[in-house]
Amino acid sequence: MNPAAERSLRTRRFRLSGSAGLLLALTVIGGVYAVLAPSSRAAEGAQSTAIAEGRALYLVGCSSCHGLNAQGGNEAPSLIGVGGAAVQFQVGTGRMPLAASGPQAERKDVEYTQEQIDQMAAYIGSLAPGPEIPEGDLTDGDLQAGAELFSTNCASCHNFAGAGGALSYGKYAPSLAPATPEQIYAAMQTGPESMPVFSDSQLTPAEKRSIVRYVDYINQSKDYGGHGLGRYGPVPEGLVVWLLGIGGLLGVTLWIGARA
Amino acid sequence: MTPEDGSARNGPDGQPPEGQASTAWQDEGSVVERGKSVPTDGNGVDHEASEQAGRAAAAGPRQTRYGRPVDSLGDGPGGGWRQPAGGSGTQAVDIQQPRAEDIDPKAARSAERQVALLFLTSAAAAVAFAVVFFVYPWEFRLDNSPNSYYTPILGILLGVALCAIGAGAVLWAKKLMPDEEAVQEREPFHSEPEIRAATAADLTRGLDEAGLPRRKLILGTLGLSGAALALPAVVPLASLGPSPKRELYTTPFTAGSRLVRLDATPVRLGDLKVGGIETVFPEGHTHAADAATVLIRLRPDEVRPAAGRENWTVDGHVAYSKICTHAGCPVGLYEQQTHNLLCPCHQSLFDVLQSCKPTFGPAARPLPQLAIALDPDGYFIAQGDYSEPVGPSFWERG
Repeated sequence: MNPAAERSLRTRRFRLSGSAGLLLALTVIGGVYAVLAPSSRAAEGAQSTAIAEGRALYLVGCSSCHGLNAQGGNEAPSLIGVGGAAVQFQVGTGRMPLAASGPQAERKDVEYTQEQIDQMAAYIGSLAPGPEIPEGDLTDGDLQAGAELFSTNCASCHNFAGAGGALSYGKYAPSLAPATPEQIYAAMQTGPESMPVFSDSQLTPAEKRSIVRYVDYINQSKDYGGHGLGRYGPVPEGLVVWLLGIGGLLGVTLWIGARA
Repeated sequence: MTPEDGSARNGPDGQPPEGQASTAWQDEGSVVERGKSVPTDGNGVDHEASEQAGRAAAAGPRQTRYGRPVDSLGDGPGGGWRQPAGGSGTQAVDIQQPRAEDIDPKAARSAERQVALLFLTSAAAAVAFAVVFFVYPWEFRLDNSPNSYYTPILGILLGVALCAIGAGAVLWAKKLMPDEEAVQEREPFHSEPEIRAATAADLTRGLDEAGLPRRKLILGTLGLSGAALALPAVVPLASLGPSPKRELYTTPFTAGSRLVRLDATPVRLGDLKVGGIETVFPEGHTHAADAATVLIRLRPDEVRPAAGRENWTVDGHVAYSKICTHAGCPVGLYEQQTHNLLCPCHQSLFDVLQSCKPTFGPAARPLPQLAIALDPDGYFIAQGDYSEPVGPSFWERG
């Protein structure tokens, strides 16, 4: 055989044996790994599945404003470190995905199922440590203490009965009537939009539970005087007294004094 | 209002002649009957009607004093209006329409039943009130039980009991009680000249008998006692309280006062997160109204201290007076993202990043800032009192 042909035969053989050898090696290693790798990975698997699913949902619904890596941008803040509680609140109340830009994101129809929200919360929570809603009954607190804490910390913006109130430039503190205990807890922890942040060292988890219990109580309580008139206090009550009450009295007076 | 035919002219002392009633109603029977036979003089004009008609005519032709056209006769609840005196010798007729209850005995009986029913309803509601008070479950419960309707039911029953009596009484008066117009003569306002003279004589004689112009000692001491009465009227002003002295200029904050919450727990560095706000007081003075302070945590790069206040903050924490410089309401509404403190009373907006300068609303001065520091244990303390008086303006503040 001439030296040129021999060289080409040698290289062809090497090329063939190279790829075959690689394939063989991969198969061997893969098989050994699959056999010898520890099998107790079910929980981690579920968690990583949730995070993966959450990431997928995030990429579809949130990344256009919040960035592909949740780093934020011109239109939306970074989500790194906001914690799963923020996701539970913002997505669970329908505020996110944002419908339109304005002074404030408004509560609207929820776009995701609770399972999807949990997955997105897991993903965001995996980016960096942040506030999470604790397990257990969030209304397990002291009603009396909750009432005092509410009037000190919350009533100035949200009104003595949680009916909400106005802030500046089109912003407002929303009514607490549609809020679930999880949403109330998450709002205190994360301080959404204009709301201040009430960390666990400022309001302990027990105090937060007391506040949640109190808000739950006023949401369920009846208006013993009849109609709550929006629970805004003296202004609508005065309106009713002046228009209906005194107007009615005027009508009765006219009726009495009219000719028979 | 005395008819020229002299039928009911009053005597000189204002009283009707003997045997005569002072009102045409008493004299001539009910209006309904008078409507059938109107007393007129030769001109065929009813003077009582013409008096009122004169006023009515002044208001406009064919109009009553209330401006309603007379063509709409007989409308209104059970009555029409008097016709003005016509110029062409038309006879004025009292055209007030009789009530159904006066003419129709069945209507009267039905009205009576209506009133009786209302009174019965009132009695029944009052009895029901007593029954409900003892029988209905009244204990306070947090759940969705009928107990919460106890007070409203009692209130409704009491309201019905009272209003039904009122409604019954009003309907009784409107439907069944005599419905007539009566005209009563008015007495002249002035007394007779003889009476006036007699009264004047009485007064002068009384003054003479008192002898005041002669008894100078009495006059003098009377004047003295009247003047001295000014003393008990003015002297109690001295009890308007101790002078506030420097109260308005100072708060209980001193150098080294720890900042504590309402429950007297001190605040450590790290209790607040960025974006958090806490209401704090000086230790031991959690009930001091002028010492209410808000402690806000900003990002350290957001803090832009005013000139001379560079060391008034601790790691992004700033403290400002909570008392609005407009009218004194607590400024507790903190908008975390825009760093505004909003006062709920008159909507004064204070920008925390500009040392709480007012950017909207009636407040004219920024919120006073409290210089804070950390003590060796990591708790927040005040470096001293506020640099200016807190709260709304007052005269001496200047």
